[in-house]
Amino acid sequence: MLGERFRPRALFGGLILSGLLLGGCTATGANGGEEFDSGVRDPFETANRLMFAVNLAADAIIVRPAAEFYRFAVPAPGRVAVRNFVRNLSSPVILANDLFQGEFERAGTTAKRFFLNTTIGLGGLLDVATGMGHEYHDEDFGQTLGSYGVGGGFYLVLPLLGPSNLRDAFGTGVDFFLDPVNTWARNTGRDGIPIGRTAAEGIDFRARNIETIGELQRTSLDFYAAVRSLYKQTRDSAIRNGAPPPLPDISYYGPRRQPGEFVAAHSTAAE
Amino acid sequence: MLRTPSFVRMTMAAGLVLMSFATALHAAAQAETPSEFVATLGDSAIRMLVEEGVSPDKRIANFRELLLEGFDVPLIGRFVLGIHWRRASPEQRTEYTDLFEKFLVQSYAARLGQYGGESLRVKATRAGGEKDTIVSTEILQRGRPPVKVDWRVRSGDASYKVVDVIVEGISMIITQRDEFSSVIRRSGGSVEGLLARLRERAD
Repeated sequence: MLGERFRPRALFGGLILSGLLLGGCTATGANGGEEFDSGVRDPFETANRLMFAVNLAADAIIVRPAAEFYRFAVPAPGRVAVRNFVRNLSSPVILANDLFQGEFERAGTTAKRFFLNTTIGLGGLLDVATGMGHEYHDEDFGQTLGSYGVGGGFYLVLPLLGPSNLRDAFGTGVDFFLDPVNTWARNTGRDGIPIGRTAAEGIDFRARNIETIGELQRTSLDFYAAVRSLYKQTRDSAIRNGAPPPLPDISYYGPRRQPGEFVAAHSTAAE
Repeated sequence: MLRTPSFVRMTMAAGLVLMSFATALHAAAQAETPSEFVATLGDSAIRMLVEEGVSPDKRIANFRELLLEGFDVPLIGRFVLGIHWRRASPEQRTEYTDLFEKFLVQSYAARLGQYGGESLRVKATRAGGEKDTIVSTEILQRGRPPVKVDWRVRSGDASYKVVDVIVEGISMIITQRDEFSSVIRRSGGSVEGLLARLRERAD
């Protein structure tokens, strides 16, 4: 089983390689990317929009119907159990990232949750920890990098996984290798487990957001741009651990006055 | 049978709800503190959403009234257009302001259907920049975790007005501005491209 043992290393090599490729892209993308108000750079917008359209098609054909069927076929307590279970499986990765960030109190919460929910909570099907005052929080390696001041880099739409950016795509790769369940599955040749788990997380998310996503899609003038902005703001909020965002300047004189344009802005603002 | 015909009861109920709605609006306009203002605004919005026997058109009209009363829509519209406001001609600005209001009413009225059975709880108040107050609230929904909503409130000439709503760290006005600026950029940097899309939507 030499091949099996080498697979992680091959995958890791692939990750480094893709990291280098992506890194190379940053250098070229830095000039081409326009910065939007929420601070997103999107130098590969054409390719991203194409992938976004492909993902939307996959969503319409497979993911949303699956999510609708899931919501129809599985009663609410069952769906909550699925959600608790996949969340509990992520506890080691969350714990590692809590520690990487030096957030020891949050790390304690994650450790207690994992212990309580795995034992009393029947292997994670029940979330008994929340009732005992240990509430769930999410962490990932993208957030860890963000907490040390690493910016998102350019925006990326990943196949099936959806909105991301350079930092978070790299973080997703790191989290995959940090995860003990994935390591075990890889080492024992159970490749279906990480895939099934990601699918379960995806369907759970989609099923909980059928109405919200549908309304956003129907009401927005540019759904791609809306999602790009929401992704950036959601990630920034997660990195701040929910602390309030910086406030934009809202005034009748208009934001982002540029040199030379002041006079025009000033004269028009008086009307 | 002494039972009042159901349509009469429905009309009476609708009338009562509308009356209390008007009172709530009035109360919101008279609010003394930003948190009182947000609490009243939230209550009237929730009451509006759960009222029964109201036609969809009437519901939208009510929502529009609430929006214009409680939000500084012209200021939000100008912020959302961002740097393009200055490039727009006076005619384009007038048309945009009108279309933006319609757009807001339509898109948020469409999103209203998802809500129901909520209550709003004011948690805290803090200063937001030099001019504003941030009122932190939680919207409680049955069977779901509470949603954190921050209201950025500015005191106007006669009353308070909301200038931004921040839901779980996501600013409504920034999202809207990113979206509109993308539409403008994709139509070759012209405001006309955005106006055309908004006109389409308003019809």
